Amino acid sequence: MDKLNVGRHISGQFNEDLERIINHVMHMGGLVEKQLTDALTSVCDADEALAKKVLSNDYLINNAEVSIDDECTRIIAKRQPAAGDLRLVMAIVKTITDLERIGDEAGKIANVTLESLSGKHKDLLSNLDNLGRHVLTFLQATLDAFTRMDVEAAIQVHKSDDKIDREYEALIRQLMTYMMEDPRSIPQVMSVIWSARALERIGDRCQNICEYIIYFVKGKSVRHTTPEDFESLS
Amino acid sequence: MISVTPKKLSEHRVKLDLNNLSPEQVALEIKNLDLYYGDKQALQNISMSIPKGQVTAFIGPSGCGKSTLLRCINRMNDLVDICKITGEINLNGDNIYDRHTDVAALRRKVGMVFQRPNPFPKSIYENVVYGLRITGVNNRRVLDEAVENALRSAALWNEVKDRLHESALGLSGGQQQRLVIARAIAIEPEVLLLDEPTSALDPISTLTIEELINDLKKQFTVVIVTHNMQQAARVSDQTAFMYMGDLIEYSDTNTLFTTPVKKKTEDYITGRYG
Repeated sequence: MDKLNVGRHISGQFNEDLERIINHVMHMGGLVEKQLTDALTSVCDADEALAKKVLSNDYLINNAEVSIDDECTRIIAKRQPAAGDLRLVMAIVKTITDLERIGDEAGKIANVTLESLSGKHKDLLSNLDNLGRHVLTFLQATLDAFTRMDVEAAIQVHKSDDKIDREYEALIRQLMTYMMEDPRSIPQVMSVIWSARALERIGDRCQNICEYIIYFVKGKSVRHTTPEDFESLS
Repeated sequence: MISVTPKKLSEHRVKLDLNNLSPEQVALEIKNLDLYYGDKQALQNISMSIPKGQVTAFIGPSGCGKSTLLRCINRMNDLVDICKITGEINLNGDNIYDRHTDVAALRRKVGMVFQRPNPFPKSIYENVVYGLRITGVNNRRVLDEAVENALRSAALWNEVKDRLHESALGLSGGQQQRLVIARAIAIEPEVLLLDEPTSALDPISTLTIEELINDLKKQFTVVIVTHNMQQAARVSDQTAFMYMGDLIEYSDTNTLFTTPVKKKTEDYITGRYG
C-alpha cells in the first residue's frame, strides 16, 4: 500500500477513500482467482457441484465491479483527483472491468464441466488443464504485480503472455486433429475449444491489467504498442 | 463511401513546446528574474516564456511568489519601496525594466484585474471608458463603441445595456468583476493579468468568468494567478507551479495535471503538500 502512496494526503478522508477502493480491488482479484481455480478444478475432477457453485458465485464479482465503479465515480466527483491519484482511479476503473470479464470467462470454463463429456473424451481435458494452470499462475502474478504496483513485474508478466498464446495454438491444433479423426466428437471438442479460448482471453485481460499498472506508475500509456516500447520503461 | 479519419482526441488541443517557442509565439519572456523585499529574496532566477493568445496559470501555496511574479509583469512592485528586481521581462522584445520604459504606457499594454472587484464609484459607462478618457479619447461615438465592445467581450453587455449610466456599485460581485475586466480590456491591452479574479465570487459567477477567460484569449494573452487548482486545470493552456520563490515546473496544463515530472508538483496538486 505504501508504494501506492495513498496515505499522505492532507485530507485523511481522501486517504481512506483511496485505501478502501484499493482493498476492494484486491478483494475482487481474490474472488476472481478463486472462481478460476474452482472452474479449472471442476473441469479436471468432473465436479458438477463445484461448476454450479462457480456459476452461481459470479454475482459476487459483478457486485464488486459495480460497487468499486460507484466508489471511483464518487471520488472523481468529490475529490477531483489529479496526477498519480487520477491515474490510480482510472487504472482501477479499467482493471475491474477486466477482472469482471475474467470472472465471466471462468464461468464459461465451468460450463464445460456441465457438458458431461464421455469417458473417451476425458483425455481432451488434460491439455486444457495444463493451459489452465499456466493461466492461473499468470493471473496470480498479475494480481501480485497490481498489489505492489510493480512495473518490472508487470512488464515480465506482460511479455510471458506469448507462452500462453503458443500453448493455446498448440492445443487448438491438437483439438482440430481430434475432430478430423472423429467427426462425431465435434460437439464435445468444440466445448473444450471454447474453454481454451476463454483461457487465452484471460491471458489477454491480464496483459491489459499489466498495462494499467504501467500507466499508473509511469504515467505512460503502453496499450497497442510494440514490445520495444516496453524496453524504454525498464 | 467517404472515409473520414477522425482526429485523435489529444490533437484537438495544440500543445506548444514551451522551451522552443518562436519569437512570434512569445508574448512575454522572463529571464533570470530575481526579486528581493529588503533582504528577503521572494523570486529566485525565474525564466519562462509565456505564449501569445493563450492562458497561462501560476499556481502554488501562499507565499510562493506567484502574485509577486504577476505584479512584476506590469511593474506593480515598483510601488513597494523595499523591492529590488534584477533580470529581464521582455514584452515584444523590449525589456520592461529598462530605465527608459514609460510605466504608464506599459500598464496600458498590460492590464490587471485584482482579487476583489474594484469598480470606481461612477456609472458603468464611466468605469469602462475611464482608461480611454485619461489617454485623451473624448469622442462620444468612439467611447460608445468601446463600451459596447468591452462589455460584450466581458459577457456583461446584455445584463447592463439598459442601465449604463447607473452606478457600478449597484452590480452584483460577479458583474462588478466582469465590469472591471471590461474596464481593463477597453484600452485593448496585449496582456491581461488576473490575480485570483474569482476568489471572492460564488461558483456560478466563477464559471461565468472562467468562460469569459476562454473567450478573452482569442484577443489577449492572459496570465492568471489562482489558488484553485481545478480552476487552473479548467481555464489554462499552460501552468507554472511555484514554491518558495522558485519556478518548480512549467508545462502544458494537461501534462502538469496528469503526469507532473517533479515530486513537489505532484505532492501539491494531489493535496499532499504540507
